[in-house]
Amino acid sequence: MRDFPSLKVLDRFQPLFRRFGVDYEVMRKILQVKFIMDRRRVPTVLSQSNNETKKEMKEKNHFLSSLWVYVLFGLFLIPFIIMGDNFLFQMSLVYGLIMFFLMTAMISDFSTVLLDIRDNNILYPKPIERKTISAAKFVHIVIYLSLLTAALAGPGLIVGLLRHGIVFFLVGLLNLILIELLVIALTALIYMLILKFFDGEKLKDIINYVQIGLTLTIMIGYQILIRSFEIVDLFVQLEPAWWQIFVFPIWYGVMTELAINGGANSFLFLLAGLGIIVPLLAIWSYVKLTPTFERNLQKLAHHGKARKEKRSKIRDSLLKFISPASEERAFYRFAGIMFRNEREFKLRVYPSLGFSVLFPIIFLFTNMDGYSWEAILDAGKGKAYLNIYFSFIMIPGIISSLQYSGKYKGAWIYKAAPITSLKPVFSGTMKAFIVNLYLPVYGLLAVIFLALGGVRIIPDLILIFINAILCSLICFVILEKAVPFSRPIGTYKQGSAITIFMLMFLIGLFVAVHFASTFIPYGVYIYLAVSVLAVMIMWRKIFNVSWDKVQ
Amino acid sequence: MKDIVVEIEDLRKSFGSKKVLQGVSFKVHRGEIIGYIGPNGAGKSTTVKIMLGIEGNYEGTVKIFGRDISSGDVEYKRKIGYVPEVADVYDSLTGQEYLTFIGELYGLSYDLADYKAKRMMELFGIGEVYRSRIASYSKGMRQKLVIISSLIHNPELLFFDEPISGLDANSVMVFKEIMARLAKDGKTIFYSSHIMEVVEKISSRIILLHNGTIAADGTFSELQMHNKEGSLEEIFNQLTGFNEHADIAEQFVTIVGEE
Repeated sequence: MRDFPSLKVLDRFQPLFRRFGVDYEVMRKILQVKFIMDRRRVPTVLSQSNNETKKEMKEKNHFLSSLWVYVLFGLFLIPFIIMGDNFLFQMSLVYGLIMFFLMTAMISDFSTVLLDIRDNNILYPKPIERKTISAAKFVHIVIYLSLLTAALAGPGLIVGLLRHGIVFFLVGLLNLILIELLVIALTALIYMLILKFFDGEKLKDIINYVQIGLTLTIMIGYQILIRSFEIVDLFVQLEPAWWQIFVFPIWYGVMTELAINGGANSFLFLLAGLGIIVPLLAIWSYVKLTPTFERNLQKLAHHGKARKEKRSKIRDSLLKFISPASEERAFYRFAGIMFRNEREFKLRVYPSLGFSVLFPIIFLFTNMDGYSWEAILDAGKGKAYLNIYFSFIMIPGIISSLQYSGKYKGAWIYKAAPITSLKPVFSGTMKAFIVNLYLPVYGLLAVIFLALGGVRIIPDLILIFINAILCSLICFVILEKAVPFSRPIGTYKQGSAITIFMLMFLIGLFVAVHFASTFIPYGVYIYLAVSVLAVMIMWRKIFNVSWDKVQ
Repeated sequence: MKDIVVEIEDLRKSFGSKKVLQGVSFKVHRGEIIGYIGPNGAGKSTTVKIMLGIEGNYEGTVKIFGRDISSGDVEYKRKIGYVPEVADVYDSLTGQEYLTFIGELYGLSYDLADYKAKRMMELFGIGEVYRSRIASYSKGMRQKLVIISSLIHNPELLFFDEPISGLDANSVMVFKEIMARLAKDGKTIFYSSHIMEVVEKISSRIILLHNGTIAADGTFSELQMHNKEGSLEEIFNQLTGFNEHADIAEQFVTIVGEE
């Protein structure tokens, strides 16, 4: 078996582990195996851009190759570090961002490590002390989080060394170690708390939403970061205030401030003291509570409580209205449940949905002059509602995502069941997409733009919704077809660049025609009629796909 | 009494308010094959998990190889092999990586573990996937791998929980023969299964657990004597007080036919 450089570094700390009664040899072996397994896993940050098919997936540490993303984020931190000597403000901001990234990465990518219950079943029956198993788990996380911290904070730290000198560098290093400990202990303690009150399924849901949030944050991060440079010019004077006791990053900003600029404010000393004591205390309680944690972890294996059956007359009749044919209704309902419950699907699609909501709003703000309420209202006037079309950009991606599932093997049921025609399968799933996924996005945007633009834009809003359906149908026709939820997520392809370009062009066309139609009397209504007709005709035709046409 | 391998006395365990084990006591001698049976939820897996140190917080004493396992010394596990009912495996590893890792955890050298694992895989007819990822294995291959991982360190005491699930008839024959020979060599085997025919044939002694207590303990012929004549399956039904199978089946089939 191959050896890893990080393990060689770890070897230097051998006596330390032995002192704590850890069987170092065994721990090293467990870690070695864990690293091998990690090389075969894809972290969240990369999963969005992962276009490799399974066969091509080479064995490399995806975690390590995802570090450059963090280096990139680290570069964005540099301006905050070099801009002045107001360390209290600057560094609080920097440490805040670092903590945010560490915390989210910890939850999204290291949860699997922290919550791995296979360990219990595989390792507990072996002649290994629990202490050694827990130590392996802890060291595993520390090694990765250290690499991540180095990637994230490394550039800033080096620039800081040149700009502010050696003291800054050393304090920074100490702070990062403390922050890392705090993040690990805090995450574990939060999990302990959740596991105490909820079952494992709830925890997995919470983790899933954090992952979705992280992906979304990274997607819009570029937008925000670029804008944030404008805010940077504002010189914020951070005055000591009692609430700062509860804001972890400020502790470390204070530490930097005290170390470099000095000061004799006893309140600041209190904050700095907290910054040192709290992480140590957190780690201490983590170590103490680990046995309890491991015991509660067993809950993950137990099945969640049965959900309450949500069924009402209104719901049923709405369902019948949306989908009158019973066979189609079955697939509509099934797709809806998959959208809600399948975590891997959610991880892939929900960030796009979030983006669909934010994109039109970001563009609305981009067209504003200044940052005032009047400016927002001004921007919302005229044809601002056309911004909603930006939410279409995500439609092709989501439509093609409908074919994928983490549990794609369950798709044998399509072949086993007597499904004579695939029409209800596709039309039911498409309806579920429109109603359960697109409609909430559209609804939110429609309300916002209606509030800004007034009732006069109602016909336009309806037209946009019909066009969204039309766009989805066209995407369905153009994109490769496969039975819903039948392909493994690893083989995900965004489609060829040409297809995507064509679809982007199509969206542009929708906007252009809509824009043009507003200059013709009743133009919007004519366009609306044409779109409705097109949807009706397409809906009849396109779902008649034969079995041999699907993959 | 060097021959006593396992000694359990008044073992009790509850999960919350649910009492899973309510005073279980038995002794197991070297070379015995214990058919450890009982209805779902009777507490079989829990007993085994306690003996393996996966579950803690129990009352009563559990001695294995003459030592109380609650002392915290894990050395006794070196001589135990375990095939769980649902076997978690690090399946992104290859068979070779996994088995050598497990071997090393039990203190074997890498080369010895590698050699033994490879030979055993070959004998089980799955030598060609030794260097493939476990994730790509079929159910039977996986089960064979788990069996090998339980035996690679030459244990004295074995816990098999549904070990033959997923194996084809030929492999089952090989495995039964392996068990018989292991017992002859003085290994002790705990065999849990729901397939009564197999338990009946291979066990030298049967322990039946019901509602957290021992409902029967003895050789198959002893069990037959105490109860009305019949197969182990019938004895099982009788001892667990289950006699409405015909009624349930009838109702079930009626529902199947409902339009």
